[in-house]
Amino acid sequence: MSVEEDDKKPFLSKKFDKFFTGLANAWSFVSRFFKEVLLPPYEFKEIIHQCYRIGVESLPLISLTGFIVGLVFTNQSRPSLTEFGAASWLPSLISIAVVRAMGPLVTALIAAGKVGSSIGAEIGSMKVTEQIDAMEVSATNPFKFLVVSRVLATTFMIPLLVMYTDFVALMGSFLSVNANEMVSMSTFFVQVFESITFLDIFSSVLKSILFGFTIGIVGCYKGYNSSKGTEGVGQAANSAVVISMFLIFIEELLALQIVNAIRAL
Amino acid sequence: MRGENKRSVIVGVFVFIGLAILVVGILTLGGQQKKFVKAIHLKAVFDDIGGLQTGNNIWFSGVKIGTVRKINFYGDSQVEIEMNVEEAVVDFIRKDSKATISSDGLIGNKIIVIYGGTTLAPPVQDGDRLESVMPLDTDKMMETLQVNNENLVEITADLKTLTSKLAAGEGIVGAVMTDSTLAENFRSILKNLNTASISSNKMIRELNTFTGKLNTKGNLFNDLVTDTLLVGEIRNTMESFKATAQNSEEMTEELKAITSKINSGDNAMGLLLNDKAFAQTLKSTMESTDSAAYNLNRGLEALEYTWPFRGGFKKKAKEEAKSDN
Repeated sequence: MSVEEDDKKPFLSKKFDKFFTGLANAWSFVSRFFKEVLLPPYEFKEIIHQCYRIGVESLPLISLTGFIVGLVFTNQSRPSLTEFGAASWLPSLISIAVVRAMGPLVTALIAAGKVGSSIGAEIGSMKVTEQIDAMEVSATNPFKFLVVSRVLATTFMIPLLVMYTDFVALMGSFLSVNANEMVSMSTFFVQVFESITFLDIFSSVLKSILFGFTIGIVGCYKGYNSSKGTEGVGQAANSAVVISMFLIFIEELLALQIVNAIRAL
Repeated sequence: MRGENKRSVIVGVFVFIGLAILVVGILTLGGQQKKFVKAIHLKAVFDDIGGLQTGNNIWFSGVKIGTVRKINFYGDSQVEIEMNVEEAVVDFIRKDSKATISSDGLIGNKIIVIYGGTTLAPPVQDGDRLESVMPLDTDKMMETLQVNNENLVEITADLKTLTSKLAAGEGIVGAVMTDSTLAENFRSILKNLNTASISSNKMIRELNTFTGKLNTKGNLFNDLVTDTLLVGEIRNTMESFKATAQNSEEMTEELKAITSKINSGDNAMGLLLNDKAFAQTLKSTMESTDSAAYNLNRGLEALEYTWPFRGGFKKKAKEEAKSDN
């Protein structure tokens, strides 16, 4: 057996080799991000630009989704609570659900769909049209300009979007509670803050930072490593969304375990 | 360039508002949970805290005044609760106040309620330990409920036996429920009872009317009841009746003695009434007397037409005729 033939032979199996190679590449991509993020020059303008696209332009969609989530969740929870004579617990229930889980999760999923796919497709198309190679030739660090700026933008903007989502969802819930239970806004928000703790807020913020980083890094990774021409662009956008959403759920699960462990201390 | 600047401003506003929501949320939460107010630490020791957790509320007179800061084991198996209590309300909590564990609703969170305290005792100070009062133990309540349940099972078992007997037509009630004739009789009895009750009602009404009349002044019965003078007279009358009855009794006794004497036949009346031979003799005597009287009468008539009596009789007849005219 020649050396060339030996190289072509899979180490474990084709699928396993592909999976582990992809994991190693992803790890090296993430490591490179943390290396590049600390080193100058800093692309502030591009970061601001990406913040605008990711944060400000996503706000209407996120706000609408958050409002509907708050309203629908309140209306769906009401019959069950009313059955126990505990309709007055609606604000507490909604605040716990929105602040602890639904706010970060819904925002991250919407952002993964809108922002993740956009980043994957954009960088993927730049990759297949060799714009990235051209940037390297023109002495611009494409990783810093394209990847670091986008990942930082998602990491900063998703937590802020979560704040907006929480607020809008609670307002949506308030409208429903006010219309049905005649609860004033001050009473509603007193009950909202009665049932949540600092740990809930901090865990929500930390989770959303992690979700934002995941959306940005997965989108950039998939776009940066796309191939096969225009088909590869579509694949990059699609897999960026799917993998981001999958990782968000895994992270949510792990975060829940960690927060519960901290809560029990 | 202007577009980039505008974009930066919008991003800045976006970040500012997002951070403002976070900060307001944190401050509101902190304010509500009394995290940023000056507080003193109070302690209380309980045998069982029933699931109380760090961060649960402290209530005094229905107002939230702090939160549970720490929960530690104390002594053998007791639990010491450290509480953060607002410094502003310390003057109202006295050293002889008590702490107990309650909940903020039927199925609400556990809370510590501080209550009682007299103005004789000074206000609490940082580190003071309040006297604790154990709350109602739900386990004991459940034990009592369990006893009730067991009793209920026995009662329902008895009831089951009873109803099955009823259904089978056993006993009087069962027979009433299953035997149609008996039921009909029972219905008839009830009907009669109903009629009787109607009649009795009517009678009571009439009795009422009657007693109403009796109560009318001037009525004999009313006078009997109310007039004391009349009662005296009646009493006197009754006394007279009594004396009369006594006399009658004596008279009856005497009559009885007389009749017994008459019946004995050893006296004239008895002989007259009881001796048949005497009666026959008396009858013959009376017949002889009658015959003699007839003969005497005829003799006298003959004498009327006989001299010297004839003139006397004529003179008498003339005087009688004269007096008649």
